[in-house]
Formats: sequence, C-alpha cells, structure tokens
Amino acid sequence: MGRYLVKRLWHTVYVIIGISMISFFFIHLSGDPVMLMLPADASKQEIEQLRHRLGFDQPLPVQYLHFVSNAVKGDFGESLYYHVPAMNLILERLPASLELAFASMFIALIVSLPIGIISAVYRGSALDMGTMLAALFGLSMPHFWLGIMLILIFSVKLGWLPTSGRGSLAQIIMPATALGLSLMAMFARLTRSVMLEVLSLDYIRTARAKGLGEFMVIGKHALKNALIPLVTVAGMQFGFLIGGTVIIETVFAWPGVGRLVVQAIFNRDYPLVQAIVLVLAVIFVLVNLLVDVLYVYLDPRISYLEEK
Amino acid sequence: MKKFWLPLLLLGLLCGFFISPAAARDADTLIVAQEAEPVGLDLMRSSIQTTMSVCYNIHDTLFHPQEDATVKPALAEKWEKVDNKTWKIYLRKDATFQNGEPVNAEAVKFSYNRIFDPAIECPHKGKLEIFEEPKIIDDYTFTISTKEPYAPGLYILGYYMPIVPPAYIKKVGDAEYNINPIGCGPYKLVKWVKGEEVIMEAYDGYYGPKPAYKHLIFKAIPEESSRVAALLTGEVDVISGIPIHQRKKIEESGKAYLTPQMGVMHYMGLNTYEKPFNDVRVRHAANYALNRDLINKALFNDQAIICAGPISPRTFGADPNLKPYPYDPQKSKQLLKEAGYPDGVSVRLSYPTYMSQIQEQAEAIAAEFGKAGFKVQLEPLERAVMWENYKGKKLEMFIYWWDDAPEPDRYMYSLFHSKSRDYYYKNTKVDELLDKGRTTLDREKRAEIYHQLDDVLYEDAPWVYMYVVPEVFGVADNVDYQGRRDGFLNMRYAKPKK
Amino acid sequence: MQASAFSIRDSLGPSLRLMRVTIREVARRRSALVGGILLCCIVLASVSFPLFYHIDPLEQDLLARFTPPFWQHGGSLAHLLGTDNLGRDVLSRILYGSRVSLLVGFSAVVVAELVGILLGLVSGYYGGRLDNLIMRVADIFMAYPFMLLTISVIAVMGSSIFNLILILGVSDWVTYARTIRGSVLSLKEKEFVEAARAVGTRHPVIIYRHILPNVISPLLVLGTLRVANIIIWESGLSFLGMGVPPPMPTWGRMLAEGRAYITDAWWLATFPGIAIMLTILSINLLGDGLRDALDPRLRNIVS
Repeated sequence: MGRYLVKRLWHTVYVIIGISMISFFFIHLSGDPVMLMLPADASKQEIEQLRHRLGFDQPLPVQYLHFVSNAVKGDFGESLYYHVPAMNLILERLPASLELAFASMFIALIVSLPIGIISAVYRGSALDMGTMLAALFGLSMPHFWLGIMLILIFSVKLGWLPTSGRGSLAQIIMPATALGLSLMAMFARLTRSVMLEVLSLDYIRTARAKGLGEFMVIGKHALKNALIPLVTVAGMQFGFLIGGTVIIETVFAWPGVGRLVVQAIFNRDYPLVQAIVLVLAVIFVLVNLLVDVLYVYLDPRISYLEEK
Repeated sequence: MKKFWLPLLLLGLLCGFFISPAAARDADTLIVAQEAEPVGLDLMRSSIQTTMSVCYNIHDTLFHPQEDATVKPALAEKWEKVDNKTWKIYLRKDATFQNGEPVNAEAVKFSYNRIFDPAIECPHKGKLEIFEEPKIIDDYTFTISTKEPYAPGLYILGYYMPIVPPAYIKKVGDAEYNINPIGCGPYKLVKWVKGEEVIMEAYDGYYGPKPAYKHLIFKAIPEESSRVAALLTGEVDVISGIPIHQRKKIEESGKAYLTPQMGVMHYMGLNTYEKPFNDVRVRHAANYALNRDLINKALFNDQAIICAGPISPRTFGADPNLKPYPYDPQKSKQLLKEAGYPDGVSVRLSYPTYMSQIQEQAEAIAAEFGKAGFKVQLEPLERAVMWENYKGKKLEMFIYWWDDAPEPDRYMYSLFHSKSRDYYYKNTKVDELLDKGRTTLDREKRAEIYHQLDDVLYEDAPWVYMYVVPEVFGVADNVDYQGRRDGFLNMRYAKPKK
Repeated sequence: MQASAFSIRDSLGPSLRLMRVTIREVARRRSALVGGILLCCIVLASVSFPLFYHIDPLEQDLLARFTPPFWQHGGSLAHLLGTDNLGRDVLSRILYGSRVSLLVGFSAVVVAELVGILLGLVSGYYGGRLDNLIMRVADIFMAYPFMLLTISVIAVMGSSIFNLILILGVSDWVTYARTIRGSVLSLKEKEFVEAARAVGTRHPVIIYRHILPNVISPLLVLGTLRVANIIIWESGLSFLGMGVPPPMPTWGRMLAEGRAYITDAWWLATFPGIAIMLTILSINLLGDGLRDALDPRLRNIVS
C-alpha cells in the first residue's frame, strides 16, 4: 500500500508539472498583455518599461523558472487586470465553484441512486423503461441549454426562482441541476446495471433464502458492492464537473472560478490563468488520488499490481 | 462508511445557506446593480466605467463637472485665474478624509504626484500630463499651472484627479489601498465581498450635503435579463446596462422608470493609409452605404441620435448645419467605380465582442454594405485582441465607441490628434484646429473652431459616422435619481421619492 | 496466414463479416434502430435541405425581427420557427448550423481516433519507455480541464472550422489510446500473434493484420459515442464565443444569442437546443446499441 501511494504521489507531481508547463506555454503564445494594460496614449518607452518591470522581456524558460519558484511558495503573481495577487482572487472564488460542484454531485446522487435501484428491482417494467429513456434524454441535453431552459421556465415564465447569483438555496438549485443532470443520468444507468448484476449473485440468493426482508437484502449487501464503480465514476466525472462549471457559471452569473478564468483568458491575464489552471488541475488530480486510494481500501483485491 | 457522506454533505450545504449573509433591506439602503463588479476601489488605477462608478462615491475631487462642461466647486471652494496658464485654488477648510486626515494642499500635491507614479500605472495620466506640479502657497491654498493654455483644465481635474490621503497610503501601501481605500467622498467603504457586493455607509464628516441614503450597496449582475428582473422585483433599486429591447418593459411595468445617462457614440474607423480606404471617394462610398435610419429603427427603437460628423450632436462645438450622410447605395457603387472598383471591393470589418448589441450591428451593417458594393468579411475579436490589433495598425475597418462627453476636447483630441493616436489617420489641419480648440479659453471662439473641425472631418471622412445610442439607468419608482452624461453612478444625488 | 505482404482481402474479410453481424445485432434492438434512423434523417436533412427549403439563413429582414413561431400570435408560415434579432429565419439557421456541428463532430472524432490509435498502438505494442512516456503525457492531458485547454489553444490559433476540428480532435485522443493500448496488451500475448512473430512477420504487419481488426469494434463504439461529446463541446465553445466565427450560424452561438433575448423571444434559444438534443440522443441510442451488439461473443469471428 505504501509503495502504491508513493507511486501515485509521483504521478500527481509530474502531472502538475506538465500542466503548468503547457498552460504557461499557451498563454504566452497567445499575445501580448502589456499592450492591453496601458491606455491608448502610452508611449513606446512606457510600454517597454512596463514590460521590463513585469519581467516579460526575459526568455521564456527564465520566466517559467521564476514562475515555478514563486508558485511553490504560493505566490502566483499579481493579476494583470485586477491588480491583486492571483491567489487571493482564486481563494475568494473557489468556494463558490466547489459549492456548485458538490451541490451538483449531491443532487445527482440523491436522485439517481433511488431511481437506479428501483429500476433494477422492477426490471423490464414500464417504470424501468421510462426512467432509462429519461436518463438517455438527460445524457443528451447540453447542460448549458438545460440551464437556459430552466431559467426560461422557472424564472421567466413561472417566476418561482431568481435568475442568477449566489447566496440562497433558491439560487443554487437551477445551476446545480443543470450541471448535475448528465451525472444523474449516468449514475442512474450505472446503479441500475450494477444492481442487476449484484442482485443475481449467489450470496444474495442465499440471503433471500434465509428469509431476510427484501429491503434488507438490497440495502445491506447490494448497495455496498455498487459503491465501488460509483465511486470510480464519480471521481472520473469530477473532471467533467470542473469543466462544466465554466459554462454554467456564465449562464447563471455564478461568482466562481470558471467564469473568472474565461475572462482571464480573454484579457490575456497570464498570472491568473496559470494560477487557476494549476489549482483546478491539482484539485482534479487529488480527487483522482483520493478515489484510487478509496478504491483500494474498498476492495483490497484490486491491487497495486494494476500499475505493472 | 460512505453512507455518512451524504447526510454530512447535506448538513454542510444547509448550514452554508443559512449562514450566507443577506443584505439588510430597509428604507435607508440603496442597492445598485451594474454589469460587472469593480476591479479595484482606487480611482487612480482604473479607467473601467463600472469601477469608476463605484469609486466616485468614495472619492472626491476639486471640482464637480456639470452637464455643459463647466464646473462647480467641490473640494475647491473658490478659484481665480492668475494668467492664461495658471489657476490659484482655495480649498475648503472643513473637508476631511474618512479617517480624519485633513484635505489640504499637501494632499493635493501628493495626489498629483501619485498619478505619475509608475507603480500605479494610472490610466488617466495622459489626460493630466498637461498640468504641472501644484505649488503650495499655504495649508489650504495652491496654484496649478498648465504647460499651455488648456480650456478643459478644470473639467479634467474634476474627473481625473481624486484627492487621496497621504498618511494612510504611506501606511498601508498601494495594493491594500486598492481593496480598502479611504477617500473624502460622501460614502466610506464598509466591506467589499469580492465577487458579490461592495457595501458602503454615509460618511458623517462629509463637508457637503449628506447623501439621503445611509447605506449604499453595489452589486454585479452580468446577465442583462437578470438585472432587469432584479429591478422589477424590487431586489435592487438602480441598474445600468439596459439593452434597448428591455426598456419598454421597464417603462410599462409601473415599478420603475428610465433616466438617460451617457451616450455611446459608435463609429467605424477606416484605415486611411492603405487601400481601399486611402481614397476619399471610397470613404465617402462607405458613408453612403450605411442605412442609419433602418438600423436605428430596427435595432434601437428609433432612440439613437444619428451623427453627421464626428462631434456628437449633443456636444457644444458640433456644427448644427451638417446633415448626416444620406443612405444612397447607388451613389456608393458609383463612387467605387470612379475610384477604380467597378466590381465592388472586399473589406474586413473588425469589432470587439464585448460591446453591447455589437454582433447584430456588425451583421446588419455587413448585409447593408453588401448591397452597396462592399463585400464585408466579419472579424469578431475579444477585447484584448481587438485593442492589440487596433494599436498594431492591423485593422482595415473597425467598429469602436467613445462616450459622448460634453467636453469636445475630451474625445476629439484623443481620437484625432496625431500625437495621441495616428494609427489610421493623420491630418495636420485637424491637428492645428485641435490645438487651437484646447488652448482658446473663450467658449464662443472655441465653438467656432470646433465647428470648423467638424466640417473638415465630415468632408475627409476618416470614419463612417454612425450614431449616439443613449444609455439609460433603470430606477425604482420610490427612488429619485437623474442620470448624467458621464454615465457614472454617483449615488450621492439619489434621494427617496415621496 | 501469409508471412508476406499486406493482403487487404485477408484483413478486410473478417472485418466485413463483423460489420454484417453487427448491423444485424444492432437492428435487433429497437432503441438502437430508432437512433440509427433518426441520425440518418438528421444527416440527410443537413445535407439536402437546400433542395426543398429555400430560405437563406443569412438573409436579414430588419423590420421582421422577432417574429414568433407560426403557431403563435404574430407568427407567419413564411418563417415556421420564427425569426431572430436580425430577422433571419430560425429554421434555416438550425438546418445550416447542423452542418457545422455534424462536420466538426465526425471529423474531430476521426482525428482523435487517428491520433489515439497511433499512440495507443505504439504504446501498447512496443511497451517499455515509450509506453511510459506516452501514458504520462496522456495523464497530463486528462488532468488539464478540457474546456480550458481548448479555449486557450483557440485563443492562440484563432477559431476556424479547420482549427476547431484539429483542436477538439487532438485534445480528445486519450480515451482511444488507452482503449487500444488495453486491447493490444491483452492480444499481444495471444498465440496467433506469437505464431506470427515466430514465422518472422514484421511488426507493422502483425499490427495491421492481427491486432487491428480485433480492436476496431470497441473503437467504433467509443468513437460513435464521442461524436456526441464533441458536438456538445463545440456548442459550448460557440456559446462562449470561441467557435466558428459569424456569420455562419452554429447551434452554440444561436443559444448564446437566444439567451440574451430569453424573456421576449423564447424560441431563439429553445429550438437550437432541441436540435442539439435530438442529434445527441440519436447518436447515444445508436452508440448504446452498437456497444451491446459488439460484446465479446462476436470477437470469436475474427481469427
């Protein structure tokens, strides 16, 4: 277990380094931020001075090394647009994005688990077909379109929910549902198929024969086994959630990191983009690490041999 | 084990919602919603409209500029002209900063120097370069000179030189000052919840009339329709950035009304150094190709003010005898033929995607121009790239805007003088007139000079002249607030309506 | 098994048989059949609509802006699904936009498959340090938030149909590579490959004739399902303003424009979304059916 952990940690490190290099490379290729920062009447000399002050006139590898040595201290430089440390901006907005991601995951699980279980138990019935069809529709809807439709129906036509912003339960329901819908569909299908497999396993039949209530049978044994694939998929989909928040935050004016980074890319705000990409990647990688470790813990048969 | 996660998560989320702060909503709180939140609260560090709006509540300047380009006293109690280039200014003795520091001549000198401090990167520096460092005469008196006679001087000081507290800034530093400023305006900052709202409270020690609302909150609601909805449901009291198609709804709602503010003057710049726009006939053709009336009717509900020449019809100095170019696609084609393009010409139209309603305008224009012999290729660019390409002289035909300010020098000089920007046009006669316009102190004579300028540019047509789209603020029925042409949300003027 | 040259018929034969069986299996499942037919209809409509629907998607009628769909008050039969903010016909724009989505969707997947197959094959077959390197690069790609990667690259390279296809394709190679690598790893040790090697068959030939036909089926399924993903990502990019530039209509941009007018012209955002959904739905149905049809039982047919 220890060796496995070490291996995974090393994997985490090189992934993060790789990502920092790629994002650094890209954003520097994409244009000159200095022109944007100064007013129209800035002279050539002022432009050069600013460029020198911000260190943009040094060769790229040198800039990258500067970036890395500061980054490990937690200093990602100052946002070129907001004039405050990039890290501060991220720390202010990150809770909002995480809140949205978790809320989506939560809604997805709460809705999909019972649906998946019930569909499996009543396999073949109209209920089963209906929910699986609904799930398929859910998977096929672009989440941002769903967001817009939810706004249309619940804010514009019915007036039940506010259109945007953050702070109350009413404001988080729509974005979380839009983001979570495809997860919901995926989990429902997954739960159902896993449950179907598990329900037919021998020891379940034996448990049934012993006379235990149907509910107990399902509740205790089957669900515990379904956890493994669910945890894996949930972990994998976390990456999708991170990407999905970018658009959903735009639709719902959610003050999170996704919207911030899109604006930062448009503004050629190098330090901010780099910082955000790194933070998101770190989160993603850590979540994966967590999932892997959890996976091993849940089912010791799956071993570190997988990494052969 | 995993079974506990879900209930825990649920608990966590519920706690989060209950603990979330909700703004106090009573009769002496005014809530304003803009399109974006401020990027900082230091007026010297930003030229972004939404940021400056918030700042003007916290900071104050020497003069209060008026709608006709004159000024009224603010921190400066009275002033006298010493000679053509110098003013002697007497500060009020009762003005203080929100931390108690006195607003004196030292502070003015400090503020002036801070603007030129390279670490601040003040975007307004260029406008103030014509001033020299103020000379202190006594605690509350100083003189300030310009390098040449400069008619808009006091007007410019009234907007772009906020007076800031030297001791406080020296203590906390610039970065902190940008988040936690202390000014001498009517409102002081209580708290800035990044990403959500800026909370302010009336400053008891303010020298001027106390604002009617004790608490002032600025929020950001980027979605147009959400912003309008927030006004109509009473969630907020004042909003900016109202697209044309939402205005009727507000007027008819019975809950809020519109008040005019800044005018946005759209224009199409042409690159006069390169083909095809180096030929004045082609430039004229472009001006005849634009169907201003149709676009006004269709996209702006007939509310836009059509421009004849470059000076906005609402600004003094605009020549009242000029008429807008008529829509005449046949004439365009003919002019193009004369200029050597019998089969029409291909042009590239660039525009920044952040401008409101820009996409529809660009597409409508492209379609109209197509009928007049111009084959238009659209090039939407993000704000940053557009600016870069603009300064890099890479554009051929582009849409940009300027605010329709009451002081003609404000934009005419910036946009047309070759010392300011000569990326796409240069004309020594125009330079001469601009120089004369800003150094002549007599208003009548200035108006004549600008009339001439208007005519010259109308003929030479370095731009396709478009229209001024008047922006409005939406104000709740129980609030009395009039918008101003500078477009800043200066809420010290707002009061409850009985 | 000839030790010499590539014989197309030899490798094509089993593949053709596989295809016939697959089609039969797919047709047996009702949902997959529905999906397949729906998809065919969509593709057909997309390609041939100018023959029977003559309205130009770019033609503006500024005084007829915001005409509602024909069944609403104020609508007209001239514009079945209404007009947008510049008076352009919504239905025509949706049909026109389908071309962009389908073209980008399928092409990007082809690009991704090619890159993925190449890297996956090389990685799985040759193993060792090359394998390690490629898999590590794959990890990095997977961890980089997809949206941010594509937006950043588009910000650098500019957005045109070609760039979009390239960028979306290249960014998505990892799943294919990993799938193929997995299959290759398991097949590598099988007897028929050992035998071929023993006889002296060169590596590329082995890959082409023995390994490739066996790994095509999961790739096909994966590819089909990924077209759906790519179409959604492309719409997302369009929505943010980074897709194919105007005036060419794209579904994503129509959604973005429609959103601004949602309170007054609900149809502008609704119909393009329905179009996207139906397309994705048909692809998913078909893909699901393919996946069910191509389960391991069928692999016995090959070799």
